[in-house]
Amino acid sequence: MDFGLTPMQEEIRTNVGRIMQRFGEDYWLARDEDHCFPDEFTDAMAEGGWLGIAMPEEYGGAGLGVAEAAVLMQTVAKSPGAMSAASAIHINIFGPNPIVVFGNEEQRQRWLPPLIRGETRTCFGVTEPTAGLNTSSIQTRAVRDGDQYLVSGQKMWTSTAQEADKILLLARTTPREECERPFDGISLFYADLDREHAQVREIPKMGRHAVDSNEVFFDEMPVPVGDRIGEEGKGFQYLIHGLNPERILVAAEAIGIGQEALDRAAKYARERVVFDRPIGQNQGIQHPLAESWAELQAAWLMALQAAWLYDNGQPCGSEANASKFLGAEAGKRACERAMITHGGLGYARELHIERLYREVLINWIAPVSPHLILSNIAEKALGLPKSY
Amino acid sequence: MNIIVCVKQIPDPETPAASFKVDEQAKKVIPAQGVAPVVNPYDPQATEAALQLRDAAGGGKVTVVSLGPDSARDAIKHALAMGCDEGVLINDDAFEGQDNFQTANALAKAIDKIGEYDLILMGRAAADWDMGVVPIGVAQALGIPAVTVAKSIEKDGDSVKVERVLDDGFQTVKAPLPAVVSVSNEFGEPRYPQLRQIMMAAKKTVEVWSASDLGLSPDEVGEGNRVLPLEALYIPKIESNVEIIEGESPEEKAATLVARLREAKLI
Repeated sequence: MDFGLTPMQEEIRTNVGRIMQRFGEDYWLARDEDHCFPDEFTDAMAEGGWLGIAMPEEYGGAGLGVAEAAVLMQTVAKSPGAMSAASAIHINIFGPNPIVVFGNEEQRQRWLPPLIRGETRTCFGVTEPTAGLNTSSIQTRAVRDGDQYLVSGQKMWTSTAQEADKILLLARTTPREECERPFDGISLFYADLDREHAQVREIPKMGRHAVDSNEVFFDEMPVPVGDRIGEEGKGFQYLIHGLNPERILVAAEAIGIGQEALDRAAKYARERVVFDRPIGQNQGIQHPLAESWAELQAAWLMALQAAWLYDNGQPCGSEANASKFLGAEAGKRACERAMITHGGLGYARELHIERLYREVLINWIAPVSPHLILSNIAEKALGLPKSY
Repeated sequence: MNIIVCVKQIPDPETPAASFKVDEQAKKVIPAQGVAPVVNPYDPQATEAALQLRDAAGGGKVTVVSLGPDSARDAIKHALAMGCDEGVLINDDAFEGQDNFQTANALAKAIDKIGEYDLILMGRAAADWDMGVVPIGVAQALGIPAVTVAKSIEKDGDSVKVERVLDDGFQTVKAPLPAVVSVSNEFGEPRYPQLRQIMMAAKKTVEVWSASDLGLSPDEVGEGNRVLPLEALYIPKIESNVEIIEGESPEEKAATLVARLREAKLI
């Protein structure tokens, strides 16, 4: 049993760490304040070839596994960039997986290289106002009209849609009531986000201001049949194929943010002197930080195990879910503890802790809530009756 | 143009001061737990210079050499990922505890063994001991010129034109090739390896040479044969005091301050 990172994973950490050093805390604080997308950062990552880390080599990617992608995303998030940096590239890392696995050769040739080179920007249109975790109840319809579909409906929480050229879009092609099972009749498209027929409205939110979240309204947006991935009606199966890697990456990001907060808290606790001694000499400060260290280490091992299972072709649903659950809880708690360690300063913007805290909450809530993760683990790992 | 770049792996200079410890008895630095060693920050600049010169010459080979423990392979791999052609690790327990002059001697032997070279590049100093003597030591051992602290390097026929960084300005010198040039941070930012290059570098084999492969005898290497004996190793204690200068007026305070600075022989 080898718990060490491979030389390749070490190289990823070192080299991505160098890129992250070019974008300091002032850069990310400014993006949080001006709400501007971190183009310089995404350009640097594209230039280094990092966007294609998990994409096949024949399309310009590196063909590495989810474990390597997790090391990449943990390194990106363990920086003052936190979730703003991670979300700016997150979709490129594993989002195109349905294209890789279920797209045809012509589609892969057409879509993957520009995504890997960072030339096209894509977003993810799955969640709807009335369909969050219960994806089968999506209302967005794609109606066949000759050699195209006309898409109408509404998506919610679509990140990066302000500037995206493309959208990975889930829509019903057969009404739910006409389907045998609720998840049938849903199709997956990789479509041009045609702004003549799609209106993108930004959702004001608590944090991660550099990367926009949106509502997208479609009004008979034409999508050529050639932009449908795989067979009509099987889109949901295609989508869930990529969910486990996504959970692992979200875990890695939460863990990275938690580690960044913890490092800052430990540094502050070593240096801040109150009553003639560093506050870090007090066990009341030490113990919560040490507990966070232990929680983050444990969550990281869980994430790496889930990634290892996935990369070795083994089932990893419960492990991927557990890593997202543990990673998000550990990351969130580390940020809270970093804040109380800093006292009032933790609440001040200039120390960045409050920003890390606002951003790690995304990993706690999305893409699946802790409640549903636990329900799923109860059902799948413990054999308890399904509760949802 | 054939260039040899020497790189060194060092303890991370960003290691928190509280984790930096020395064993005063053994006269050794105790590696900080959980902090991975890094490439000496000046060395990627030397590597960058080598790659630019090779490419400007329209061809040739850049060989990267490091003397150090097995982990120094990572420093070599980084240079290979940047675009160097071959790598050599000089690795032998017999080198343990030796000084910069012995290291310079061993590097010179390795450079001789590699054979054809026009230029040898190194970082201006290693950020661990910060002595900057190895480039000059290697040049001395090979009997070729050394030019230190370069800001820019240009091949000019059979010689090399180097702009050096001085305390009070810059100096341009010319040296016949082959020569050793040490590169300073003023050279500019080194390139960042792309993922694809990192993967290619990972597949490259690094040759490993021992002391005997270089024809070094046991009485030349290691702690017992240091040219520069290490008398003591300790972390200096720095004490600082603050004195508030009192006075009725700014003029009086200034006059007292000047007197105090004179007393302390600071002005």
